[in-house]
Amino acid sequence: MIEVRNLIKRFGDFVAVNGVSFDIREGESFALLGPNGSGKSTILKCLAGLTTPTSGEIRISGFDTQEKPRESRRVLSYLPQRVGFHDCLTAREVLEFYCRLRKLPNARIDKVLHGSEFDFNGFCEKRVAELSGGMKQKLGLAVASLPDAPILLLDEPTVSLDPAGAIAFRQFLKGLKAKGKTIVFTSHMLADVEALADRVAVLVDGKLVALESVEAIRQRTKDRNETIEEVYLDYAKAN
Amino acid sequence: MEINSILTIARQELTVAIRNKWTVIFAFVFGSLVLAISYFGSVTAAEIGFQGFNRTTASLLSLVLYLIPLVALMMGTQSFMSTEGGDDMLFAQPVLRSEVLLGKLLGLFAALVTATFVGFGLGGLVIATQTDANDFTGYPIFVGLSLFLSLIFLSLSMLVAVGCKRRTSAYGAALLVWFFFVIFYDLLVLGGSLLFKERTANYFIFASLFGNPVDIVRVAGLLSLKGEEVFGAAGAALLKFLGGEWRAIAALIFSLIFWAATPTLISFRLLRKQDI
Repeated sequence: MIEVRNLIKRFGDFVAVNGVSFDIREGESFALLGPNGSGKSTILKCLAGLTTPTSGEIRISGFDTQEKPRESRRVLSYLPQRVGFHDCLTAREVLEFYCRLRKLPNARIDKVLHGSEFDFNGFCEKRVAELSGGMKQKLGLAVASLPDAPILLLDEPTVSLDPAGAIAFRQFLKGLKAKGKTIVFTSHMLADVEALADRVAVLVDGKLVALESVEAIRQRTKDRNETIEEVYLDYAKAN
Repeated sequence: MEINSILTIARQELTVAIRNKWTVIFAFVFGSLVLAISYFGSVTAAEIGFQGFNRTTASLLSLVLYLIPLVALMMGTQSFMSTEGGDDMLFAQPVLRSEVLLGKLLGLFAALVTATFVGFGLGGLVIATQTDANDFTGYPIFVGLSLFLSLIFLSLSMLVAVGCKRRTSAYGAALLVWFFFVIFYDLLVLGGSLLFKERTANYFIFASLFGNPVDIVRVAGLLSLKGEEVFGAAGAALLKFLGGEWRAIAALIFSLIFWAATPTLISFRLLRKQDI
């Protein structure tokens, strides 16, 4: 479903992503894990077509993200780390805008608002200026859920959510996973990775240092009597 | 390009411009200008009261050449400059980057068209009721030229925003663009003309007209107000240089279209390669 081949991204002299390759299968939940500045958000932005790779190739559902940007973005939804909407619009107007852009009927809005574990109610008629950071993030998630796209790209999705919001979010993602959606998310929170991911790519300084199933990591913690944090630190230190 | 995406983005941009009161403020400013200039325009001649369209338009033209480029550049820079998160979500949709830019440009232009029609329209209506309104033909041309100027400087603001990474540097660059076209360019041309002999200097000045959209609008506006009389021999020479009245009109219109289209196309090209 997603193929990344020898991806390199430089910002001037700084190499943010250094020769990363991986495949993500349909219906898989895939985590990009690493410390700040390890290149995980850059990879996600390359997948979303927001950042142009210096070299390498990315194919989403067979479409090259550089040669067929519209087609590759049609099959995905992207939620950035920090969302931003016009303050003077209401949450519903924001959702209507993205519905029109995706050529979706407005009925889709109510389906998203009422058909999820999230408490979206009560904020629809509020202006974006009146929403808290967490509420804006929820609005972003609602926007990302509108097209019912087969692929979801989420950049640090739980960062600005309160504990209850983070728990609801994990439930929400599990529901999507059960529906067969392919989910790619970045995180430096091991709890998110353990709870949600099938496989995890560990990144350090832009390099892919490990690509393992979460099940294999769990087995390793059992075999060596280590915590998942210790396993992660082992990967990071080894590189 | 998909027209649905462009119109959807344009519609949102217009809504935001109206909600943020930009459109209302500019409509009020434009309307007040028309009325103030028409009413107090002859105060130096110890007269007060509404003047006819021709005199009002001639006085308005000079002011509008300063005001509209500034308004369009500031409004455009604010809108085209990327906002963290907002642009990420928008550009990650199945739309082309050129569609986003064009949609924003059309939305902002629609906001300025609304402000211009309301401000200059209501002001013109008052003048029409207070004077005999015989000489109104130049006024709609003046409104049309003001709109062209808005579009050109919105397009330039797009180029500025696409070319600058930070908001503060974009505003600085926008002010520089305004200063260059509205004030510095004419000084540059006058200085440059000293390098040539009389006839060549005239041609140099005439040709340099096309290097500045503000000058194109100024000349087109004055020509529409029976400019040969205002310009005198210089106006006649300019018309001769441009190949007669109709060719002059065609050349001026073509160059205005060129000035609106070129920054837009360059912006499309620049943004295609950029990281959001």
